[in-house]
Amino acid sequence: MSSGRVGASRMSSSQIRMYSLVRREVNRFMKIKRQTIGGPLLETFLYISVFGAALGTRIHSIDGYRYIVFVIPGLIMMAWALNSFANNSSSVLQQKFTRAIDDQLASPASPAQLLWGFTLGGFLRGFLVSALTFGVAAALLSLPVAHPLVLIPSLAVVGLFFSIAGVLVGVRAEQFDDVALYQTFVLQPLIFLGGVFYGASLLPQPWQTLTQFNPVYYMISLVRYGFIGYRTANLLLAFIFLALATAALFAYAYFIFRRGRYLRS
Amino acid sequence: MTPALEVRDLVKRYAGGFEALKGVSLEIGAGEFFGLLGPNGAGKSTMIHCITGLARPTSGIVRVFGNDAVHNYRQAREAVALAPQEINLDIFLTLEETLDLHGGYYGMSRADRRARTAELLEAFSLTEKRKQRTRTLSGGMKRRLTLARALMHRPRLLILDEPTAGVDIELRLELWQYIEKINNEGTSIMLTTHYLEEAERLCDRIAFINHGEIAAHGTIPELTERYGVDTLEDAYLELVGRQELSRSHISEEAAL
Repeated sequence: MSSGRVGASRMSSSQIRMYSLVRREVNRFMKIKRQTIGGPLLETFLYISVFGAALGTRIHSIDGYRYIVFVIPGLIMMAWALNSFANNSSSVLQQKFTRAIDDQLASPASPAQLLWGFTLGGFLRGFLVSALTFGVAAALLSLPVAHPLVLIPSLAVVGLFFSIAGVLVGVRAEQFDDVALYQTFVLQPLIFLGGVFYGASLLPQPWQTLTQFNPVYYMISLVRYGFIGYRTANLLLAFIFLALATAALFAYAYFIFRRGRYLRS
Repeated sequence: MTPALEVRDLVKRYAGGFEALKGVSLEIGAGEFFGLLGPNGAGKSTMIHCITGLARPTSGIVRVFGNDAVHNYRQAREAVALAPQEINLDIFLTLEETLDLHGGYYGMSRADRRARTAELLEAFSLTEKRKQRTRTLSGGMKRRLTLARALMHRPRLLILDEPTAGVDIELRLELWQYIEKINNEGTSIMLTTHYLEEAERLCDRIAFINHGEIAAHGTIPELTERYGVDTLEDAYLELVGRQELSRSHISEEAAL
């Protein structure tokens, strides 16, 4: 039982640790992929069917774009955001409940490694659901990618933002109701009212002005521009604001992990 | 020789003001089998959590093989492992994955993880179940897997928090044999238990902890002498102020 160490690795100890933390998270969502991948994909395709195939025949175009093509970028972003958030908040809370998280907390992993491990789990699940949705949309509806250099960083930062938010909510939550509260009463209204299914210009006042206070509106604007070239908000300003907000959220989460608040007694 | 564990003036005060540890000092020698006994709520788990990084000490020093558990936590945590009282296995993982990921968290190479996983599954008679998820295991198997997981990264100090609580007699004897073997191979062990015969059989030295303070420590003869009694059980009852439960006391009363 006390045999010596076997074999060297091309990866450093720190890299193996980081990789293992992420592998645990990916392993978890892949073990329950009907729920974590299949369910969200079905949901996204139902939205596409209802808003694209059914409503789309009535609403022919928005500012010259086919309605279905107008809606899909928002749906892809919504899938990434909701899946990242739901994955991380549930995973962290589940591990807190069972105390399985102690195995990671008592390991030599640094606070930053733990935070990145949990964050990237949801990020990758969001990416997978979004990529599959995009693949189907691109094949069936000829969804363009007008500005990949705007699209890729924008989607990545949106994914990171909601991944970190999910970790934070999971860390702070004491029961599953706490997670559902954020998801149902904060996240979904912000996303739905952020312009996934319509352009803000279609709204009457004061809703048109109020939409501009919704951060998700800018995220959708960036992603929609990246896909189809439809420009609404000041995109450079929107991206800078989004990147800063994500950095601030990460800094706060890092502070929580470093202090061990809600995780270590 | 650097001690396996050095605890100096350790204080742990929770947010509400409750002081679970009130300046505890303790030393465990390298290779020693050390018992920490005390009633529920005495501060045993809090101390274990401070050693393993699951709790943040309010003040004081914890060193594992000379490595500060707060400032040099990486080296300290590589040297220590905890088999907790409550089973805390990850329900999404198989047995193999449980050990493999644990090894990964400690930076072990893939080849080393594979070899060590196979070795531990075999040693704990779990090889046949290696592809099963942890939640499908019986209570005894979960207990064995928890111990195997703790040993995965070859800790030099193993902390066993009530390892035989609620297990049947065969498994208890089996676990004792494993633990003695590990200790004989050089691993230092800190054991908390409510079974005094377990402590008597396994431990070189014992510390009594109560109300967040170390009340006494030493070998079993030193403890019985200190309390002026014949057995470890009576010494423990003196510690908790329940002398009326002593077997000798009860048999004296029965004779009247």
